Amino acid sequence: MELLADLLNMALLASGVRLTVPILLTALGAVYSERGGVVNIGLEGIMIMGTFFGASVTHFVALALPVPGAEAGATHAIAPVVGMLAAMAAGVLFSLIHAVVAVTFRVNQIISGVVLNLLAVGLARFLNILFFGVATQSPGISGFQPWSVPVLRDVPALAPIATGVSPVIPSALILLGLGHWVLLRTVFGLRLRAVGEHPLAADTLGINVVAMRYAGVLISGALAGLAGGYLSIEQGRGYLEGMTQGRGFIALAAMIFGNWWPFGALGAAALFGYFDALSLRVVHTRIPYQFITVLPHIATIFVLAGFMRRAEPPAADGIPYTKEET
Amino acid sequence: MSTRIRLSVLQAAAPLLAIAFGAVVASGIILAIGKDPLEVYGLMLRFNLTRSDSVAAILLKATPLTFAGLAVALSFRANLWNIGAEGQYAVGAFAAALVAFGVHGLPAPIHLPLAVLAGVAGGALWALLPIVLKLRRGAHEVITSIMMNYIAAALVLYLLADVFRDPTQAGTPRVRTPLFEDSARIPLLRPVLQLVGIGIPEHSALNWFLPLGVVLCLAAAYLLARTRFGYEVRAVALNPDAAEVAGIRIARTQFYMFLSSGAVAGLVGLSDVLGFFGYFDIDFPKGLGFLGISVALLARNDPIGVVPAALLLAFLDRGAQGVQVFSGVPREVITILQAVIILAIVVGYELVTRYVRAQRKREAELAVVEPSYVGVEEGG
Repeated sequence: MELLADLLNMALLASGVRLTVPILLTALGAVYSERGGVVNIGLEGIMIMGTFFGASVTHFVALALPVPGAEAGATHAIAPVVGMLAAMAAGVLFSLIHAVVAVTFRVNQIISGVVLNLLAVGLARFLNILFFGVATQSPGISGFQPWSVPVLRDVPALAPIATGVSPVIPSALILLGLGHWVLLRTVFGLRLRAVGEHPLAADTLGINVVAMRYAGVLISGALAGLAGGYLSIEQGRGYLEGMTQGRGFIALAAMIFGNWWPFGALGAAALFGYFDALSLRVVHTRIPYQFITVLPHIATIFVLAGFMRRAEPPAADGIPYTKEET
Repeated sequence: MSTRIRLSVLQAAAPLLAIAFGAVVASGIILAIGKDPLEVYGLMLRFNLTRSDSVAAILLKATPLTFAGLAVALSFRANLWNIGAEGQYAVGAFAAALVAFGVHGLPAPIHLPLAVLAGVAGGALWALLPIVLKLRRGAHEVITSIMMNYIAAALVLYLLADVFRDPTQAGTPRVRTPLFEDSARIPLLRPVLQLVGIGIPEHSALNWFLPLGVVLCLAAAYLLARTRFGYEVRAVALNPDAAEVAGIRIARTQFYMFLSSGAVAGLVGLSDVLGFFGYFDIDFPKGLGFLGISVALLARNDPIGVVPAALLLAFLDRGAQGVQVFSGVPREVITILQAVIILAIVVGYELVTRYVRAQRKREAELAVVEPSYVGVEEGG
């Protein structure tokens, strides 16, 4: 019973919600990319770029805009906003490589994504040396002013979840709803799904397959970059090498578990976020901490193994499209 | 120039062009940090080629990369994406270490092969779950094998720090296993090389795993190109439907290829652990599994190409050390250079393949429409 109470502890659930956000945002990005027919294994590398640029741009903006009259260490409120935008921009630019290599040059999409991840590790280390003199971490930064949910914050039992909320969390939920609407209710979403299901038919109808696939990949880059920025600005309060901890891959599993739909991905992302939170909290167990830290990874394997049977990926997912050879 | 010659020139030129492209991108970076790229490259070439310790270091570094590249190439050849070599080699190396320090009193001709087999078994074991889950449950091996990497790192850390830590090191910051028995150490190449008159530096750990890696690559090339099993692998990769109709058991072929990939990955760390350190410690070299992906892509998944590809990456790695020490350019520049070369080369190979296909198609069409014209062209 005591164990159960520990597992449903409000602070733990609040931490689970916070850790759901990066997985959810990246999984949502993966939905855009794969609905358009492009597998994006490079999301992990894109997240790494997001963590680095998010933290370092926040740091430099905070340096450039000291708060007049405040005590030392206070940061201008605009700094994390600029950091988040920079993380998104870095994600878009980095995913552009994947789009060029995998869509334009039609290189195998898994290979292109894997190379993207290799490049991200080296690039982040190099840039960090260039900016901060060391390879693995940035100076500490302050994130957004935390926010409290009106009404809910007055309920004592819910206080851990309803207070000290990062504004990125509601933004992520809005992006989720937006994604659902865009994919199902807009012309753009219909076209994106068309090039992922049957690019030849879409092409015949005058849809620009290459442009739509670029759009899907770049949106996934923006969202994964944002997720990285959230990790380093809001969760880590600075960049640390390896802080993404394979969440880009876990997000892909969440997307698969969610059957390539935004709200499906939410369920899996919440599950992984919960295990992530659990792994950070070495409660009084006799299990060695090394095994607690890999709980999200073990959960990912279980989920993929148990629920893949009903998977319905887009028909042309992962297949490069070319006019002359079909 | 006949078409065939033109095509083979193109195929040979693709890697060179990719390296040149990578060098140009890296030059931009080097210029941006205020250094002269030509000077840096010149320094790298001199450092790598004119010092005998550099040559030995490159060959030593190429040893694990050969196994890693071959492991990844074997899975890629069967259209399977084993991104888990990283975890497989950690488990394999630890299994070999267990046998190396835990078993006593065996003569070297039995102990060393036993330790090597433990490595192979450890690597294959760690590849088992991803491939079984793929074939039975449809779970994508890219994600499961990556998750297995994280689990392997945690497992090895736990076994090393909490279970098999050398008790005589307790209280010191050193976290490592007890020393291995001498009978489990891989013999060095130096005595043999001296016999044939090739001198290598005294401290070099260059060992028999280098020739073993080359032999394994040749054996894999033979297996894939000249045997029935190799034919089945190619059929499964090129056209699974046709292979199935021809009576090839696709799942079985994929299962064996993935397990072989894991088994070879189990050998990656042994040159370092059994050939050099003589114990397994917490600073055991990491990242070789991911470098294996670069080697395999560079080699175009060809087992014979794995050897020069491993040498190239080892060359760049050694050069990076020299450049960092002597010109103050961070070695990460070379890591970026490697990744750009890999990106350029996969694009280059793709373009060449597409060009070849278009050429063949055009020739076939010409042959049908105007057979006499083609004959004249080829004669002249």
